[in-house]
Amino acid sequence: MAKLKYDAPMNWKTETDEIARRRELALEQGGTDAIAKQHGKGKLTIRERIDKLLDTRSFEEVGPTAGAGNYAENGELISLDPANFVLGFGKVEGRRIVVGGEDFTMRGGSPSPAGLRKSVYAEELAVQYKLPLVRLHEGSGGSVGGTGGKGASLPGPVNAPARFRSVAEAMATVPVATAALGAVAGLPAGRLVASHFSVMSKATAQILTAGPAVVERAMGEKKTKEELGGWKVHTKNGTVDNGAENEAECLAEIRRFLSYMPANIEQLAPVNDCDDPVDRADEALLDIVPRERRRAFDMRRVINSVCDQSSFFEMGAGYGRSQITGLARLNGQPVGVWANNCKFLAGSMTADGAHKARRFMELCETFSLPIISLVDEPGFMIGSQAEREATIRHGTSAVLTAAMTTVPWASVMIRRSFGVAQAAHYGPEGYVLAWPSAESGPLPVEGGVAVAFQREIAAAPDPEARRKELEEELAAKQSPFPRAEALGVHDLIDPRETRIELCRWIDRIQPLLPGLLGPARFSVRP
Amino acid sequence: MTKIELETGGSVWKVLTKPGERVEAGDTLFILEVMKMEVPYEAPVSGEVAAVHIAEGDAVEEDQLAVEIAE
Repeated sequence: MAKLKYDAPMNWKTETDEIARRRELALEQGGTDAIAKQHGKGKLTIRERIDKLLDTRSFEEVGPTAGAGNYAENGELISLDPANFVLGFGKVEGRRIVVGGEDFTMRGGSPSPAGLRKSVYAEELAVQYKLPLVRLHEGSGGSVGGTGGKGASLPGPVNAPARFRSVAEAMATVPVATAALGAVAGLPAGRLVASHFSVMSKATAQILTAGPAVVERAMGEKKTKEELGGWKVHTKNGTVDNGAENEAECLAEIRRFLSYMPANIEQLAPVNDCDDPVDRADEALLDIVPRERRRAFDMRRVINSVCDQSSFFEMGAGYGRSQITGLARLNGQPVGVWANNCKFLAGSMTADGAHKARRFMELCETFSLPIISLVDEPGFMIGSQAEREATIRHGTSAVLTAAMTTVPWASVMIRRSFGVAQAAHYGPEGYVLAWPSAESGPLPVEGGVAVAFQREIAAAPDPEARRKELEEELAAKQSPFPRAEALGVHDLIDPRETRIELCRWIDRIQPLLPGLLGPARFSVRP
Repeated sequence: MTKIELETGGSVWKVLTKPGERVEAGDTLFILEVMKMEVPYEAPVSGEVAAVHIAEGDAVEEDQLAVEIAE
């Protein structure tokens, strides 16, 4: 019997060839010239950034061939303009995340139609798969020319989902870390700060609500991108948490941040093996706080000496500098660490310091991280500048945030603990230890004596001597020994015992941690 | 050259070093007074003090260059 013959091809080779060709075309990004230009400015392309962030060969791309095809009259594909946002899954230290970023080699990162779809999808994917989200930003927002460059696009329908809902939901569900790696303006700048950790590259990044041309047109102010939104501006005002020297260091900081984080709010943070002995007692702690009450000391040394060796990762060092916040480990357990820096404005609670602290507590509450608080709080910052900055409102916001947390707290009274502001450093039902150098009360004796004993001091034969006498008398009452007698602290400790005491506490709270999982009562607001 | 810049404004309370002096990492170079706290600045490296740009009693500003050390 003769075999049947068909004229049509027997397989899908034509189409699979075209799939392969489209994939190749997509990898060309903006073309050789645009990539050379990007490299010429000392910057990586988005694909190089993703490769550098992720474990080797772990990238699984989403929508690699999305874009705009250009066709000949016979319908044959001539070229493909890939979406200018690259998106996918990948692994960091073996743990899966979602990663995405604008491709600056096309349209200067201003979204193309497919690029916009993929960028919006980033948050949705992270929420759907319950995976940490990393966004690597270099791009601008919409253009008055519209997304296609062929006239303004249609506005979204009234029943479209709220554009920023997924951005907010991502922050309430999964860790979000972002980097500014080139100029970031408009919408990407908004998404950059809608994160739990953000870092900018000092060598290559600027962050701009609007760029120089828009600013000059609207306000007549002539500034460069760097002057408007370089690292010198934004690492000091809290727009980003950290500044890193270059792109590679930004990516390393993001990997480090993720190492302390669970994948989502339904999981606990990963506990590492710890080779730093829990009973390591640092002799330097015995005299780190000077007996001279006005002499400042280095709180970061205390943090580094108490936590697992090299585990402290500071976030927001450049702003709200009277407060120190960061992530660390105690016997391998990730914790949030919050401390006062008496070298900066005496460690007082400033408006920006309070904002930083509030965001930090919200981070710990969202991801069920225990909080270690090292207290040396003289009170809210005072004076006319502090009044102009609404310090009392921002400070009270921090105090009430602490009062509403449900995560376990251990607070160590290192030195001062005064006023309303000190309340922000103690969580509900918290574990409280005090060093011998601890002093506490409604306000520091120096200011307090001047106010409360004004008349008595003025009437004394030697007012200056009387004032000193009163200060010494009252300072003795602020000592931690009477507080310990009244069970006002769980214990008074030798400073060298701080690490072992905190590690024991970490062990005791383990049964509480699973009960904290799930949505927090409040989540992080940018 | 290692430059020591000021973390905050304040007033210079004590200057404990002078140009030409040999210092070890950890030595206190000068002490600021900030919000009634004495804030000591230590040498981050060992070397010779090349320049001291502040004097006792000066009102100083954040980021101001205070001391330079040649390693």
